[in-house]
Amino acid sequence: MTRLAPEADERADAQRSLVYRVEGLTKTYGEGENAVHALRGVDLVASAGAMIVLLGPSGSGKSTLLNILGGLDHATSGHAWFHDRDVTAFDDDALTEYRRRNVGFVFQFYNLVASLTARENVSLITEISDNPMDPADALAMVGLEARLDHFPAQLSGGEQQRVAIARAIAKRPEVLLCDEPTGALDSQTGTRVLAALDQVNRELGTTTFVITHNAVIADIADEVLLFGDGRITGRRHNAVRASPMGLTW
Amino acid sequence: MVRRFRSTLTVKLFRDFWRLRGQAVAIALVIAAGVGTMVMAVGLIGSLEATRDAYYDRYRFADVFAPLVRAPETVMTKVRLLPGVAAADSRITTRATLDVAQVAEPVTAQVHSLPSPRPEALHQLVLREGRLPDPRHPEEIVANEAFVKAAGLSIGDPVKAVLYGKQVELRLVGSVLSPEYVYVLSAGQIFPDNRRSAIIWMGREQLAAALDLNQAFNDVLVRLAPGASIPEVERRLDLLLGPYGGIGAYSREQQISDRFVAGEIDQLTTMATLLPPVFLLVAAFLLNIVLARLVDTEREVIGLLKAFGFPVRAIMLHYVQLATLLSIGGLALGIALGAWLGRGMAGIYQRFFAFPFLEFRIDGNAYLLAGAATLIPVVLGATTAVWRSARLSPADAMRPEAPPDYSSRAVTWLAGAVGPDEPSRIIVRGLLRRPIRSGLTVLGLAAATMLYVSSASPTASIGRMIDLGFGVADRSDLIVTFAEPRDARALHELERIPGVLRVQPFRAVGARLRSRQHEVREALSGVEQGGGLSRLIDLDGGTYEPPAAGAVLSGRTARRLGVGVGDTIEAAVTEGERPRFRLHVAAVLDSPFGSAASVDRASLNRLLREGNTLSGAYLQVDPIALPRVYSRLKASPMVAGVSARTAMLRTMNETIEQNFAIQTFFYVGLAMLVVVGVVYNSARISLSERARDLASLRVLGFRRREVAFVLLGEQALLVLLALPLGIWAGVELWRFLIGQFSTEMFTIPFDIDPRVFARSILLVAAAAAGTALLIRYRVDRLDLIRALKTRE
Repeated sequence: MTRLAPEADERADAQRSLVYRVEGLTKTYGEGENAVHALRGVDLVASAGAMIVLLGPSGSGKSTLLNILGGLDHATSGHAWFHDRDVTAFDDDALTEYRRRNVGFVFQFYNLVASLTARENVSLITEISDNPMDPADALAMVGLEARLDHFPAQLSGGEQQRVAIARAIAKRPEVLLCDEPTGALDSQTGTRVLAALDQVNRELGTTTFVITHNAVIADIADEVLLFGDGRITGRRHNAVRASPMGLTW
Repeated sequence: MVRRFRSTLTVKLFRDFWRLRGQAVAIALVIAAGVGTMVMAVGLIGSLEATRDAYYDRYRFADVFAPLVRAPETVMTKVRLLPGVAAADSRITTRATLDVAQVAEPVTAQVHSLPSPRPEALHQLVLREGRLPDPRHPEEIVANEAFVKAAGLSIGDPVKAVLYGKQVELRLVGSVLSPEYVYVLSAGQIFPDNRRSAIIWMGREQLAAALDLNQAFNDVLVRLAPGASIPEVERRLDLLLGPYGGIGAYSREQQISDRFVAGEIDQLTTMATLLPPVFLLVAAFLLNIVLARLVDTEREVIGLLKAFGFPVRAIMLHYVQLATLLSIGGLALGIALGAWLGRGMAGIYQRFFAFPFLEFRIDGNAYLLAGAATLIPVVLGATTAVWRSARLSPADAMRPEAPPDYSSRAVTWLAGAVGPDEPSRIIVRGLLRRPIRSGLTVLGLAAATMLYVSSASPTASIGRMIDLGFGVADRSDLIVTFAEPRDARALHELERIPGVLRVQPFRAVGARLRSRQHEVREALSGVEQGGGLSRLIDLDGGTYEPPAAGAVLSGRTARRLGVGVGDTIEAAVTEGERPRFRLHVAAVLDSPFGSAASVDRASLNRLLREGNTLSGAYLQVDPIALPRVYSRLKASPMVAGVSARTAMLRTMNETIEQNFAIQTFFYVGLAMLVVVGVVYNSARISLSERARDLASLRVLGFRRREVAFVLLGEQALLVLLALPLGIWAGVELWRFLIGQFSTEMFTIPFDIDPRVFARSILLVAAAAAGTALLIRYRVDRLDLIRALKTRE
């Protein structure tokens, strides 16, 4: 076994507190004249427990980045390390296992299974996880302890989205990727959803990415990445994270 | 207005059709199966009926037959003058055994005098090969083509015959067909045995000399005048011919060959009314779910079209056109399939039915029927599917449908009870939320299973029939029939033949059996008490001794007479002294085949006021000695017929194997088409409805096979539900068909080979699994990202 140099040890420590390290990530759809460059070279690091908001207009590459980080899409070039494993090198099966163990997703349209109750939608995930929360506890965390046995059709949009959050966090993922989680919701319902995300991030220490084109939401983040034309055009650190409950849009 | 939109909608029409091509093919196959069986059956019925009618007419097949013992030719003048008689011919008919070098066993032959060469003569022959006998050469004969071919005879071959106790040397000069023998069947047979049973025609003078019937006859053929009453003509014939030993006139419906042709047409009619509706209903259902799903996904498009000012009828027409386009291929394929199958079946019929020509022709009605049966449900289905969306206001239609509500208590409870985990619950709730569609899918799959089970079952039942007939009821090697009733000395003569191990005599006479309401013409059999070679049995294989007094009726005869145990019937014997007596019904036995009415032989002898008399005997023969026994019997003057059981059994088994192999293959194909059609469409629809759920599951980390389980588990559950239902329905259908197929001559016992169930399960499971693989391929390629960006 090769003895690591002291500098290497330090780098390893730093990497352990880093969840993601992304270098020169590009994504191109199509070829030649029809090529669409969704990502034109993105670099970033995300440390454990951070709340990161990706802000930018539609088509700026936010979702593409999140899809690659979440293991839903392949990069054209560049690397995205999840701890010390390069996600861009995973094959389909490895991506599935990665999503299954490490990533929680929240989507704009909730993507709940209509034929399962709130509790069952969460159980769907806890059944295939190694160390899950009790589904009822996960739903209680997002304030839905009274709606356990309701079907999606019996829940409001905000409630459905909170079920989706409970479902995403119930397996205690290291990262939570949320693509426009409030996109289909009004401001009042949206803030409750953001509050749930904020609470999960603080209590469970889950590294959370939130995509939005709504600048107001950026205030709840530790770090804000501004997107434009497939690149990160700016970064901002909020010294103090705003409480989601105070936001309006 | 409509015209202007047509071109764009036409483009959409063809694009939609192209997009749905996989499902279109699956639907087309099911439609083709329905249309194919329909066109085949309807075409065959038409072809058989037309051929039969033309054949009977052209070759002047008789309407009424009147056998008798002996009447002078002068009587014919009186017959021709009877009211209702258009034409009448006399002839001489007898039985003979033939000794043909090419056939080891004795050949049993029905012998007729040649019809006169007059153009108006009845039962004219169709010459197939050689020529008709020359009146100057009394030894010349012609024989039915089937026998000539099966026995491997050539024109010019010598044929030895024992004719009425005399050995004669004959020579074959031609092979012929006769409308009287479209189907050749000897007594006790259920399939033709053309190698060992023959029909021969010879010069009347030669035959008359042999039978001592100069200027006389023993058979009358009558063609009726239009509008004549058959029973009335029969009654008058019986009155006229009674003094000459008339056995009783009977009509064409009771003539054995015609009965089989009519029976085949009846079976085809049953098939044409049973099968195609099943297929076409399944196809209509498939089309309906495909269209309903398409319309669901195009709800917004329909709203948009309406908002742009497309009239509702243009939109309806668009979907009706699509539905028609989806089914028209199946219709065309079905017609082609039906024509092909029909021609093939016509070829098979020509092996069993000796028609001079049998051309498979589909008349306009068959096309019209197939077109209507396919397109009417399709158009109706499309209209109903679209109507729901088309009648919404554009604004409503363009708003997406609310998410499906699964909160019905029954559905929740049942799924909770059934599904141990969430994916199972998704499956069960999905099925329960669409009970009609799930139910129809199950019915479609069950129909396919039913089809297979009912079409694979005849082998077991007919095998059982043969086992019972040849293994339990009749265990003899040979049945010898005498030309005339003989006394006990004949029995000893048979016993003395080297190689004959055991002899059991029987007595049989023709009789009319009457109950208060009905009359049947059947043989009355005298069965030996304690005879081990031929026994009375029931359908379960139980054996019975003939009662010392009274008669045992077959179930068929008892039903036709409307009598049961304890009733009394009257028997009017049509031979010899023609005694009449009453018989007490001692038992009713349903047996595979055999006598209509049996009594103890000794009592029958007493009733006939005769001594120890027999009509023939069952023989058990040492197999090594068979050839010697054959040659003795061939030469014996008292023997009129020999039936070799092993040879007959072999022929039967060959016929059954060939027949049912083709039939089973055909129905296996049809069943698979239905299974593939139903499973593929049902899974495709389910996939399209579930794509978003399934993609979400994939995103959430479900592995491919876990996701495929949700979709294919649903199909598997449907198949699982359908199998027992289909097996049950197949068994019941077979039970029903047995009733249809059983004739007065034989009853098919109900028997099911458990392997048929196993095979039906394998077949359906294999077809479903193959289809599932196709679907699995699509599940594996779900677009994960698109599913997340769109809302249902």
